[in-house]
Amino acid sequence: MHSEAILSHLLLLSASDPRPMYQQIVDQITARVMAGDWRPGQALPSIRELAASSQVSVITVKRAYEELERAGVISTRHGKGSVVAERSEQTRLLLEAALQQHLHEAIAQALRLGLDRNSLHRQLDAALDAHPQLQASEGSTP
Amino acid sequence: MSQELNMPLIRLLVVKDWQLFQKQLAALVLAGIVALALLGLAKPWSFYLGSLLLIVVLVAAACFAIGTSLLTERKEQTLAFVMSLPVSPLDMTVSKLAGNLITFGVPFLVLLLGTLLVILGTPLPDGLLTMAILLFGHVLLAYCLSLTVAMQVESEGWNLFVMITSMVLINPFIMLLGQIDSIREPARGNDIVWSTPALAILAAQILLSLAALGYILWRHRRRAAFY
Amino acid sequence: MTAAFAVSGLCKRYPQFELKDLNLSLPEGTVMGLVGVNGAGKTTLLRLLTGIAAPDAGQVEVLGRRLPEAQVAAKRDIGFASEDMRLYRSQSLDWHMQLMRQIYPAWDESYAQHLIQRFDLNPAQALAGFSHGQRVKALLMLCLARRPRLLLLDEPTTGLDPVARMEVLESLADVLRDDQRSVLFSSHNTHDVEQLADSIAFLHRGQLIAHADKESFLDNWRRLLCLGQAPGNLKAWPELAQVRAAGSQIEIKVRAWREDLPQRLDAIGLSVQRADPMTLEDIFVTTVRAGGVA
Repeated sequence: MHSEAILSHLLLLSASDPRPMYQQIVDQITARVMAGDWRPGQALPSIRELAASSQVSVITVKRAYEELERAGVISTRHGKGSVVAERSEQTRLLLEAALQQHLHEAIAQALRLGLDRNSLHRQLDAALDAHPQLQASEGSTP
Repeated sequence: MSQELNMPLIRLLVVKDWQLFQKQLAALVLAGIVALALLGLAKPWSFYLGSLLLIVVLVAAACFAIGTSLLTERKEQTLAFVMSLPVSPLDMTVSKLAGNLITFGVPFLVLLLGTLLVILGTPLPDGLLTMAILLFGHVLLAYCLSLTVAMQVESEGWNLFVMITSMVLINPFIMLLGQIDSIREPARGNDIVWSTPALAILAAQILLSLAALGYILWRHRRRAAFY
Repeated sequence: MTAAFAVSGLCKRYPQFELKDLNLSLPEGTVMGLVGVNGAGKTTLLRLLTGIAAPDAGQVEVLGRRLPEAQVAAKRDIGFASEDMRLYRSQSLDWHMQLMRQIYPAWDESYAQHLIQRFDLNPAQALAGFSHGQRVKALLMLCLARRPRLLLLDEPTTGLDPVARMEVLESLADVLRDDQRSVLFSSHNTHDVEQLADSIAFLHRGQLIAHADKESFLDNWRRLLCLGQAPGNLKAWPELAQVRAAGSQIEIKVRAWREDLPQRLDAIGLSVQRADPMTLEDIFVTTVRAGGVA
């Protein structure tokens, strides 16, 4: 119960966030796992418990958990709830593949707008500046 | 379709209506005591005043009983709240009937008893008893008719009309009683006389009252839902 | 999976409108949000589900019981709070709670006290002195403290200030913990439905024009901004709910989104600049204005 309480409080969801709610849940849990805050094998709150404490519908939490499961971030034991998945290369590769796809989409969009390589670089820098927690220089994650 | 009555809940609803009526009941009993006291003084002016006040109190009891439990419930929309409780339409009808009869019946019977005691125990001619009972009989009939209308009809206007009209008819009724020799004459003396016309009128009042109440139960027996 | 309620072929006629041939069910342990304009039939549907109203045709089964015949038994497990309900003005909340305690054996006193604190209500005060928001919260508290298996709520947050609304939503969310308790609530605050509902039902002029699980329903809708010239027959595409043009900027509201739609639009000369999900409010208004086809 104690670990569940901590986990619930770390999920900061908001309607002001433009991303769909299930996406916010997926992103936040993924970030915590990737950062090592949540250890492999650690139990996640049950779907209903998370739904109730964050005032989000059960179906949304379910969807988020299913996505996390597909991405290999969590694993669900039938009837016993979900836990943080054992760290594996698979997860990292999946996320990196997703990043590549996003980059390709950004490039396609830039082409539609008629931007050249340097303009796109400038756009990327501007976006990074707006996100102070993302360091432009190297910072290895534990 | 089971038509069993939810007795515990009906009892609760009746108690609820009774509790809601407390303030009016206290005021009515107080006014009633004053009326009886005036009657008991047995002076012409006090008799007139006392009997007037008595009639007013009786009419008020009828109006408040019907008003608080039925009309106000509808207007204040507390009816919707009661309907959401585990009650069937029949339970509601029974509880309204029972509640109403009790909230009106208590002051009615108290005043009837008080009036009889005052007539018999004071210098007032005992022969008045007959007319007094017939008067109470009229009020009872008017009340039952108003109750029947109130349970069927939602319009406040119509309900008020029926209540006022039936009560106002007390005047011509008293005059009518005065026209009948076998009722008017004994009223001055100390003998209690129940002549045939008097008995007939009383019987008619009681039977019509029961018929009105019976009609309510009959009409509402088959209702499956409130809407 | 048992159904909290199931209605089939439901018809109810009123002078102003009629519910026609409604088929709807709610799986146990889920939350359904009912959306519709005033007069669409939401209150009527809720009354039929409580057994207060009897259908002209069709079946209503709630918690395994036929209504309105078994309404007394059904209402023991149903918590119904509607907008037109009032409590007794001359009495206090304590008096009402005492009434509830006597009627419902499942009344949870400690939970009731917890809600009174959270909703900031004065239990000794006469209801006549309550503000609209406090009154709504009081009614809700009397419902929630019984922990009923099915909650039927008609506009639970309508007319509440933002803080009170949040308090109500938080207390409703507590019900989510129990997989045997279900909720159906109707609301103009589509945001509430968007947030808490597992499934959504759109009622319009007495007909169910949409009924789907929330996530896939919202996924189906997109608002597109395109550049180009819209061909005349674009509005006829069945998957598009609305098309508006301002010069060479075209706004399209899509009701049946597919990944290949931007390609197909590209093929007819429209280049999609952005594709955003739509709020339920936007979807609702668009649907009603598009003639009630979702």
